[in-house]
Amino acid sequence: MLTSLFNFLNKHITVTPADFEILMSKLEECNFKKKEHLTEIGEMENYLHFVSKGIIRRYFYKEDEEIITHIVKEGGVIGSSASFFSGLPSRYVIEAMEPTTTFRISKSNLESLFCSDNKKWEKVGRIIISHFLVEQETHILDSVRLSVQQRFVKFVSENSDLLLRVPQKYLASYLNIKQETFSRMKHLMLEKKIKVTIDS
Amino acid sequence: MNDLNNISQSSLEFIAKYFSKFMVMSTSEVNELMQYCEFRQFSRKELIVNFGEVDDYLNMMVSGIVAKYVKVKNKEIILQLSTEGHIIQSEISFLTRTPSLVYLKALEPVTMISLRYDKMQDALNYFPKGERLGRLMMESMYVKKDERRYGMLSKSMRGRFIDYVTHQPQMLQRVPQKYLASYLNITSETFSRFKLLLQKNELV
Repeated sequence: MLTSLFNFLNKHITVTPADFEILMSKLEECNFKKKEHLTEIGEMENYLHFVSKGIIRRYFYKEDEEIITHIVKEGGVIGSSASFFSGLPSRYVIEAMEPTTTFRISKSNLESLFCSDNKKWEKVGRIIISHFLVEQETHILDSVRLSVQQRFVKFVSENSDLLLRVPQKYLASYLNIKQETFSRMKHLMLEKKIKVTIDS
Repeated sequence: MNDLNNISQSSLEFIAKYFSKFMVMSTSEVNELMQYCEFRQFSRKELIVNFGEVDDYLNMMVSGIVAKYVKVKNKEIILQLSTEGHIIQSEISFLTRTPSLVYLKALEPVTMISLRYDKMQDALNYFPKGERLGRLMMESMYVKKDERRYGMLSKSMRGRFIDYVTHQPQMLQRVPQKYLASYLNITSETFSRFKLLLQKNELV
């Protein structure tokens, strides 16, 4: 059930079934309804969520407009992570977009893993953060170095399933593309005028 | 360049203070950690990381300024301006061992304490507080990056300008205007206008 988490960690570090059992004892299974908020703006983030089913988005408000910074599906990790690490209030809303199941770890449970004798957990923590860091930097880099069409193609090739699961306006916001442009790209893709190779 | 005996007392104090932002360490621990590090110096305009090269270093700035940028259609777009006390590197390249998409260049003569990738692995394995320090540094880098992305998406040009000059006032003197303008994603003309307003105390 949490094989995706197990596999994610084992890509970087050997996690034995016994280690994984310890980790599981620190996790709490949570279920969220569609549109339910996991975290509000101004709240301290106390959890990181490993998504096992469903989709979660993270956004903030620019005046009245929702600006989406993350859309995370099964196998991903999400939370108002800067708040989680810094202890400062969250700038973001974390919201379920579908009925969603996550396994969440609290700050104190994570800290107890870090303080245990097994130094492996510090490494696990560092790996998860470097994952966040690379993801964030990739998004920033792509937003300046790729054209609108290149961003669209890259996203669709990596997340073809999300085209069907997530309303277009959210995907457009995430990619910082106008909704009209997003529609146009999608049509061009369906008419095979834009070539997209699906990764997975 | 890498002679630790030549490190001045003040540099060592700087380093000790630097790491204390992340965790408490004794002088002997700082000295132990320094065995894994090297001092590197670059002259003004020197390229530190080239496009396509794998970045092997995690750098902590002691003095000077480093710009991180991408070239898009022959135009340089500044992503980061790093000075005393900051961490700078081509993160994706360093962490995933892939060719760098960004350039790092010294804008002033630069001194940095650098941890090479292989030495970092050693430090993570053998320096007792290594894993924790590594994690805390990475957390801090992530939080800064999140702040930057949020600022760029949420704030107006004016807001970005005011924010930057409030937090980094000395950079206005040290960094060419076109670089600052690019970093804040503002045209040079708008940047000049804001600067003028700032000098006349009319920027609110």
